[in-house]
Amino acid sequence: MDFGLTNDQQDIQRTARDLLGERAKPERVREHAEAGTVDVELWHGIAELGWPGIAVAEEHGGQGLGAVELSILCEELGRVAAPLPFLPTVLAATLIEHAGSEEQRGRWLPGLASGELRGAAGGVGVVPGALGADLVVVVEDGAARIVENPGDPVETIDPTRPSARVEGAGEELPGNVEAALDRAVVAVAAELVGVCDRALSMTIEYVKNRQQFGTPVGAFQAVSHRCAEMLLATEKARSAVAFASWAADADPSRLAEAASIAKAAASDAGREVTGGAIQLHGGVGFTWEADVHWLYKRAQVDALLLGDGKHYRARLAKLIGQRAMAAAA
Amino acid sequence: MDLTFSEKETAFRDELRAWLAANPPSDPPRREEGEEANYAWRREWQRQLYDWGWAAPGWPAEYGGRGATLTESAIYFEELGAARVPLPANVLGLLLGGPTLMVWGTDEQKERYLPPILSAEEIWCQGFSEPDAGSDLAALKARAVKDGDGWVVTGQKVWTSGAQYSKWCMLVARTESGLAKKHHGLTYFLMDMEQEGVQVRPLRQITGEAEFNELFIDGARISDANVVGGVGNGWKVALTTLMNERAGLGFALQVRLRQMLDDLFAATAERGLLEDSLYADALGELHVRTETLRLLAWKGLTDVERYGQPGPEGSLVKWLWSDTNQKLTQLAADIVGLESLTAESRWSYELLRARGNTIEGGTTEILRNIVAERVLGLPRIATAA
Repeated sequence: MDFGLTNDQQDIQRTARDLLGERAKPERVREHAEAGTVDVELWHGIAELGWPGIAVAEEHGGQGLGAVELSILCEELGRVAAPLPFLPTVLAATLIEHAGSEEQRGRWLPGLASGELRGAAGGVGVVPGALGADLVVVVEDGAARIVENPGDPVETIDPTRPSARVEGAGEELPGNVEAALDRAVVAVAAELVGVCDRALSMTIEYVKNRQQFGTPVGAFQAVSHRCAEMLLATEKARSAVAFASWAADADPSRLAEAASIAKAAASDAGREVTGGAIQLHGGVGFTWEADVHWLYKRAQVDALLLGDGKHYRARLAKLIGQRAMAAAA
Repeated sequence: MDLTFSEKETAFRDELRAWLAANPPSDPPRREEGEEANYAWRREWQRQLYDWGWAAPGWPAEYGGRGATLTESAIYFEELGAARVPLPANVLGLLLGGPTLMVWGTDEQKERYLPPILSAEEIWCQGFSEPDAGSDLAALKARAVKDGDGWVVTGQKVWTSGAQYSKWCMLVARTESGLAKKHHGLTYFLMDMEQEGVQVRPLRQITGEAEFNELFIDGARISDANVVGGVGNGWKVALTTLMNERAGLGFALQVRLRQMLDDLFAATAERGLLEDSLYADALGELHVRTETLRLLAWKGLTDVERYGQPGPEGSLVKWLWSDTNQKLTQLAADIVGLESLTAESRWSYELLRARGNTIEGGTTEILRNIVAERVLGLPRIATAA
């Protein structure tokens, strides 16, 4: 048993972190957020590196790598709250690849994988990242449709991901939508882990340096214990995402359960950790300039995207309840 | 990433599983027969494990183990939990005392003490905590004074599990006082419990049973041959013991939590309450916690195996386990109702016992301090010297 990344996976992670550290600095994120725009230049840059198609099959123009690699990228992009249509696009691609017809796959995947097309996915109504998308996969009552008209712009609390209100009319995906959704929510959960990781590290940095009563505030247990709780929430989510990404690639029979655990753990962690980050930054954390709020806003949107924690906990209760009753019978 | 067992690990698991299926322990004594009968039963169980080489697979072969890897040792505890059989009676000797001697003991000590730990002939207990030295262990006051070719010890120890059954006590006592640092001047001894100077008084706990004891030590004698790791080196030796404390045990506890949760699911289903969205949400949350606990436990262990050092998980696992166990047993009270608080319900015992989990083996508050200081690198919490 081994939770470690392979050398290739570590390379992907390192490349992503270096590149985004350089090109998705907080000031740049803020600039795009204030303008309500995506960073088109950076989008072209990561598209050239093949990121949007990392998990798309080679026959459809992708790199044919797995869910683990996709989760690595989602996490890194989440760490910087990148103003990019990456997650929305890979969600659309994942749903089409795993629940679409051969024709739908052939038609949409090459464009989504190359980054020429931008996608989004969500329920009927507000869809994060749908503004400017070429297609939106709308999931409603267990069915998924490809909607080519993204609908009217709508401002959400997270302007790094311009959104639209989307109707459900469009061509249906004929495949197993539930299983495809499981893969998609793992990507959302992975982004949330990145968001948590960054919010926690910003907080640690801050409470180590901020002095009150003649000592760094991080030496007070009321502060340090909350940091410890933030770490616990982050690590729970991280381990759940690792398990779900691995299951998606290596043992799909466990994916429904693993994905539900990952999305429930990550949705809760996202709220708890980024909320804690604002609190522990004190008054500064409530200011626009501190940049903690982009993470909080992203976490709030992601927590609800494609099913909130409550939805997945209910699903788990059903899955495990059935298992327990079968074992008792 | 590969979250499966290797062929060798699978073979180890299958062999153990088959052995457990073929060699279950005898039926446990009834509750009315008392705790001593229960302990005797667990001791007998260890002998059975021992006869087949299953008492401590993680011990090196030269000391009577199987030289099992960390992963295999974890599998061992998972399988004991899954088979719903008890842990070997001499758990502190097997998990703490033995491994500490392997690191610090002389050849004579290893030869003399290891075999009877394994066979449950000699039970071990741990004399670390004192009434005024709990989380702050280095504040301990028990004193050992040199006397001829040995030492004379006076002091009080507390929370000593299994002292009433023990032959040997891992005792940390102060051999030099007035030093600048309180964790200097300590020495680690093996104290014979069968002597006049040692009085054991059971500590009745909120469950009504007495797992723990107070130890009153008044002029107890320890020979020089029973100093472990050298005079004045007690703090380092004690740390070795403490590092071993939660390593394997966590896996058995984690599996028990899983089983209890499955039982609670079944109890909820029986009452037709699985559809109740409040209970479903709470059960779903417990499932998330239980599974992330399992993952964190495995991740922590395999990181040690691969990289030689634990990640942050080690400190998180016990915290998450104890907290989850309390939430689980509290939810059971809601679901099962007042019936769960009756003496014959297992849930009443579990509810009460769970309160100890966030205190024993490191309180949750101390674990948070450890996470904050050692994992997150936050400044040391100010303490009075």
